[in-house]
Amino acid sequence: MDNRMENLKYSISEALELPKDIVMDLPKIIMVGNIQLNISNHKGIIEYSQDTLRVNSNIGIIKITGSNLKLKTILSEEIVVDGTIDGIEIIS
Amino acid sequence: MGTIKAWNFLKGYVIIKIEGLTLERFLNLAATNDIYLWDINRVDYTILEMKATIEGFRALKEIVNKVGCRVEIVEKRGLPFILYKLRYRKTLGIGFILFFAIIALLSSIIWDIEIIGNEKVKDEEILHLLKEEKIKEGIIKYRIDKDYVENLLLNEFDVFSFISVEIKGTKLIIEIKERDLPPEMIDEDIPTNIVAAKKGIIEKVIARNGKPKVRKGDVVEKGDVLISGIISDEFSENQILVHAEGEVFARTLYSYKVEEPIIKTIKEETGRVFERKEFKIGERGIQFIKGDIPFEDYVEETEEIKILNLDINLPFKILVHKYKEVETMEIKQDIELIKSSNHIKAVEELNKQLPLEVEIISKDVKHYVRDNVVTTYVIIEVIEDIGVKRPIN
Repeated sequence: MDNRMENLKYSISEALELPKDIVMDLPKIIMVGNIQLNISNHKGIIEYSQDTLRVNSNIGIIKITGSNLKLKTILSEEIVVDGTIDGIEIIS
Repeated sequence: MGTIKAWNFLKGYVIIKIEGLTLERFLNLAATNDIYLWDINRVDYTILEMKATIEGFRALKEIVNKVGCRVEIVEKRGLPFILYKLRYRKTLGIGFILFFAIIALLSSIIWDIEIIGNEKVKDEEILHLLKEEKIKEGIIKYRIDKDYVENLLLNEFDVFSFISVEIKGTKLIIEIKERDLPPEMIDEDIPTNIVAAKKGIIEKVIARNGKPKVRKGDVVEKGDVLISGIISDEFSENQILVHAEGEVFARTLYSYKVEEPIIKTIKEETGRVFERKEFKIGERGIQFIKGDIPFEDYVEETEEIKILNLDINLPFKILVHKYKEVETMEIKQDIELIKSSNHIKAVEELNKQLPLEVEIISKDVKHYVRDNVVTTYVIIEVIEDIGVKRPIN
């Protein structure tokens, strides 16, 4: 049932060229080089330290590793991370 | 980004330190409660450092209680805190306000009155008149009614045809256009003579009214009556006074002399320059002397150094006196060349002297070479109207 619903949403957004992050309620991750990362539509922080940041989202946990990680801003929809980013992992 | 920083500075913000074990929960709660936090850094496993607005900091207290961590203010930044501190430093605040007040006051005072374009009326006369109307250096510039000043000057001096009054910074600029006064007209009811304005030989007399007193070939001096306004009857002693009118053409001479030495001493710069600086405040100056001028013959030039290349009138000046070494040289010039250049110079001068409507009859050029000097006389003979109306007493 759930899967069918998702598929429907996907087809609609494909057909109408609507942004999928809005239609399917997915996180949007934007990276600027390896120095800044921007996650919108997150579901809260699970862990934050200077080396790792774990953010909850609809597709699972987004794990960002790096050094000197700083949270530039936190809003209910958006997180901006500054620092040197080494890796992004999605654990679903 | 810069505008956000400036905004935060104006609103004021605090750098806070949060100590606890469930710091992620704290961040999530802050985010869901729409509390704006930025530049969050995990200093230690149990310590977070971040920036928050003043209102944000107040709202955080609730969350802090819920999560169970400790909050500590590290630093307060921004304008509200600076102002708060200033309350305890009243003299500094007063000084600050005083500073701006003085600048505002001084820049609203007229410090200089400049008068441009007047030739027939002296500066002092205009300034005196303005002074009577209490317009002088040191008054507040907003008090000057420009239209009033313009009308005042136009009414007082007939010579002025146009006046513009302008305030530029602390300078009052009065720009004047003068009109050429028409020659004095004598009313036709007043009896007049026509007299000679200058020496000449009479060529033609056209008397439209009055009795001609001279004939062709007469030599007249300045002031002689040419056409008389007194008409007397042969048979009676009655005299009729009329307004004499007419033209009297006469031959007059214009001459000009030019002298030019054949051997000329010319001072030529050798290129060596000695400089002295001077600092001048008003009329007083200090010269910075470093040794005597090392030249025998020199010319002095004074230059003003413009500060920051601005064209403004400062009460102090920096002057540089340049002493340029010169060598005197004697140059022998060609006599023929001098003669022709003298001739041209004299004719140019004469052209300036000649009135507009004249007929040139002859031109005479004479050169004399005597004692190292070439003297050139140019004499021009012209026919012109020499008659001038004078009322009869």
